Amino acid sequence: MSRIPVTILTGFLGAGKTTLLNRILGENHGLRIAVIENEFGEIGIDHELVINAEEELFEMNNGCICCTVRGDLIRILGNLMKRRDKFDHILIETTGLADPGPVVQTFFVDEELREQTAVNGVVTVVDAHHFSRHVGETHEAEEQVAFADVILLNKSDLATPEELEETEQRIRAINALAVIHRTTRAEIDIKKVLEVGGFNLDRATELNPHFLDAHGHHHHHHSDISSVGIEAEGDCDGKKLNDWISKLVRDQGQDIFRMKGVFAVKGQADRVVFQGVHMLIDAASGGPWAGRPRKNSLVFIGRKLDREALTSGFRSCLA
Amino acid sequence: MKSPGSITAEDHILGLKWNPEGTRLLATPATGAVLVADEAATLLEELPGHGMGNGISDWFDSEPATCGFDGKIRCGSREWKPGRGMIEHVRTSPDGALLAAGQGKALYIFDTAGSDEKSLRDLPTVVSDLAWNPKSPAEIATAGAGGALLWRLGEKEPFARFDWGGASLLVRWSNDGRWLATADQTASVHVYDIPRDNPLNMEGFESKVRALAFSADGKRLATAGSSVVTVWPCASAKGPDGAHPIQVDGSESEVLALDFSPATGQLATGDGEGTLLVVTFEKGQFRRKRARLGAGISALAWHPSKPLLAVGHTSGLVTWLSMES
Repeated sequence: MSRIPVTILTGFLGAGKTTLLNRILGENHGLRIAVIENEFGEIGIDHELVINAEEELFEMNNGCICCTVRGDLIRILGNLMKRRDKFDHILIETTGLADPGPVVQTFFVDEELREQTAVNGVVTVVDAHHFSRHVGETHEAEEQVAFADVILLNKSDLATPEELEETEQRIRAINALAVIHRTTRAEIDIKKVLEVGGFNLDRATELNPHFLDAHGHHHHHHSDISSVGIEAEGDCDGKKLNDWISKLVRDQGQDIFRMKGVFAVKGQADRVVFQGVHMLIDAASGGPWAGRPRKNSLVFIGRKLDREALTSGFRSCLA
Repeated sequence: MKSPGSITAEDHILGLKWNPEGTRLLATPATGAVLVADEAATLLEELPGHGMGNGISDWFDSEPATCGFDGKIRCGSREWKPGRGMIEHVRTSPDGALLAAGQGKALYIFDTAGSDEKSLRDLPTVVSDLAWNPKSPAEIATAGAGGALLWRLGEKEPFARFDWGGASLLVRWSNDGRWLATADQTASVHVYDIPRDNPLNMEGFESKVRALAFSADGKRLATAGSSVVTVWPCASAKGPDGAHPIQVDGSESEVLALDFSPATGQLATGDGEGTLLVVTFEKGQFRRKRARLGAGISALAWHPSKPLLAVGHTSGLVTWLSMES
């Protein structure tokens, strides 16, 4: 059974999420997209494919402090999966002040959703003109950027070129992996929003931590959220790697928003790819190296990351 | 088992409900028309669906009351849209006078004239399920994040909290009013002995618990959560506390639906592969009849006074089965 792709749409209040949603729902793209909207109190979208639900956070009470999930999504998606006529795509809009973590974690934690849906990516809409102010006011704006696979730097027409450059650099300092698109009135090719593949382990093999070097260190860093990329040649010891990652997420999982990695593990001919959100991690075979050099690439996005400790911790896993 | 007939809805059957007299059955599919049929499986009515998805329907004021993702409740010529959010189920009070619906963090209570003045708004959590106290039509339980809350209509604070800190998906109140049970996301069941103010926690299920049902006399609680149904004794002073439950095997996959017959006390269970078990209990033992019905079984409803079972399938088929020999 093919899994239905799910895109999570986040963004601060007034950044342009609703404009983007209206564009997606109104365009003639030939896809049946169900939208789960959680913007209570704001102007809702009146459309036959939109479901309104009030955000319901609950803890799994299983000892994992990061296992806060969205109960409403479990029930709505469970119901949508029962339908005979399935949707091509599901889009979940979070509230402007929402931490995207519980939404993403829901898809890791609930067995039924894991089997029937696949999180495609997190798309965050940022107000290019007001991002600096939003970051100063709350930590949610930063966390929405930290979780993103794709960022729409929207309302670009309202910001000066200098403002745009500064905002983009600020975003890069938080999340060096996300693809940034500058947009006006959320005008963008819908494929760039829906075909993200941010949680697709196959695409994790495309990870390039050098990207961090190019963008991560050349400007002022106002946030305690940042990205750390690690690259090392040679094979890892599978047990040491497993122990290190397990301890890392146990001790620092609350502060790690996203992590992705591609590993060369001693004794394994194929690549090992992994990704994680807070304390929840997922690993799989990434297929053969196909002539490329066996090397390890790892990226963390999180709060208060200690680059040196992470690098030395990882290096201790080399065989 | 004999089958007097069947009807077919457009989609996966979410719920089945007989009217109190047992003359009509309401079948709610995930999408499309909600069907009304009589005891002989003759289709009487097709009621309009609720857009992206239906909620579970009930009988209210002698009419079918339907609800759904469009945020509307329809009952005969009446239509209410209390807010924007989806409505997952409506439930009629045991005296038939009130209809309850959870919508986000609001619990709407309508009387037959349409007044909602008894509604409770701004609850601490979203209402994932609700259950009336069969012994007291002014008391209702809501399930959601944290557990279950017990409310008296007209009061703004819950009179009891069954707040174990997790996530409850379903809530049921035993007909004798003694027990409240929740089925939980965390592969557990919580049972609250209300008179003794004693919460019990049953863990070790294989998955989240998708179905639970009390027997009509309140003496048994059946729980799903795997392919084995666990039946907990609730008759003694301590109920399931320290007791050995009965384990009913014979299903081929996870059990999705459970119902006890008010007429015979038999338990019907249905799994995702279409296996139906009809379980008869005798002096601490049980015997079961097994039938393979094709598509997965997603809903079950015994007739209120006859050995007649309505079986709802994931395919949209609803089959009537008579247990009379």
